[in-house]
Amino acid sequence: MHSFLSRANAVAAYALSVLACLTFLCFLSTLFIDYRTEASINTIRTIVKSISNYNSDRKANDLGHITVDLRADLSPLFNWNVKQLFVYLYAEYETSSNSLNQVILWDKIIRRGENANLNFKNMNLKYYFWDDGNGLKGNKNITLTLSWNIIPNAGCLSHVNAVGQHSFSFPDEYTIAKQ
Amino acid sequence: MNFLTSLGIPLHMDFDGQRRAEYLARFIITLFGIIGFIWGYYKQQFSLTVYTCGFGFTLAVLFTLPPWPMYRRKPLHWQKPKSDTDQKKKK
Repeated sequence: MHSFLSRANAVAAYALSVLACLTFLCFLSTLFIDYRTEASINTIRTIVKSISNYNSDRKANDLGHITVDLRADLSPLFNWNVKQLFVYLYAEYETSSNSLNQVILWDKIIRRGENANLNFKNMNLKYYFWDDGNGLKGNKNITLTLSWNIIPNAGCLSHVNAVGQHSFSFPDEYTIAKQ
Repeated sequence: MNFLTSLGIPLHMDFDGQRRAEYLARFIITLFGIIGFIWGYYKQQFSLTVYTCGFGFTLAVLFTLPPWPMYRRKPLHWQKPKSDTDQKKKK
């Protein structure tokens, strides 16, 4: 504290330490919050086509076409340590070649302050529902789950699954695409 | 900083002033940190905490960085240097 510059250094260092301490306290204050909440998912149209996948090997793979109803009120999840949510819908199913397939079908970024009350009716999905073979036709147990990442101001990035899943089956016949 | 001293603007505090400046700076920053934390928690908005902390920092800089006269009230009293002529007389 004997000179102007050493005083500036001491004050700035102490202010930064206090700020770091408060940030850690903010992280602690939200550490044990349960971020699960209910979501209701329903499928309206479920058809499956056999189409050449030009993204990979050009073989005819199964492509699912589904539309969903999705309702979830995520606004109670926000607090002073939640910057934004990354919400995504994924399908899980078993085929003869893989015991677990996971395909992301839809996602959305919700920043704090934006409308977090999701209510979609007969919504088309954002991403293609490709199988890596012929596992979708006649598959009786495909489970849709809504899930989100919580992006905090300070702390760890957590993955949370919604309470409530939806299972559906694909028809036994391909829908022939009109040429 | 040296040019200010050469202009006759003092930059130093006395020892007691340094102690009081450090104490005051820490008090202001801690106080605004606590206020900011409570306010931010109440409003559920962490940016309020950060801005309040920044305000406390600015206040502490204004109050303790310049060597205000209140930090210069207890200067050290040095003994007067003995002149050579006095020492010669003692011999």
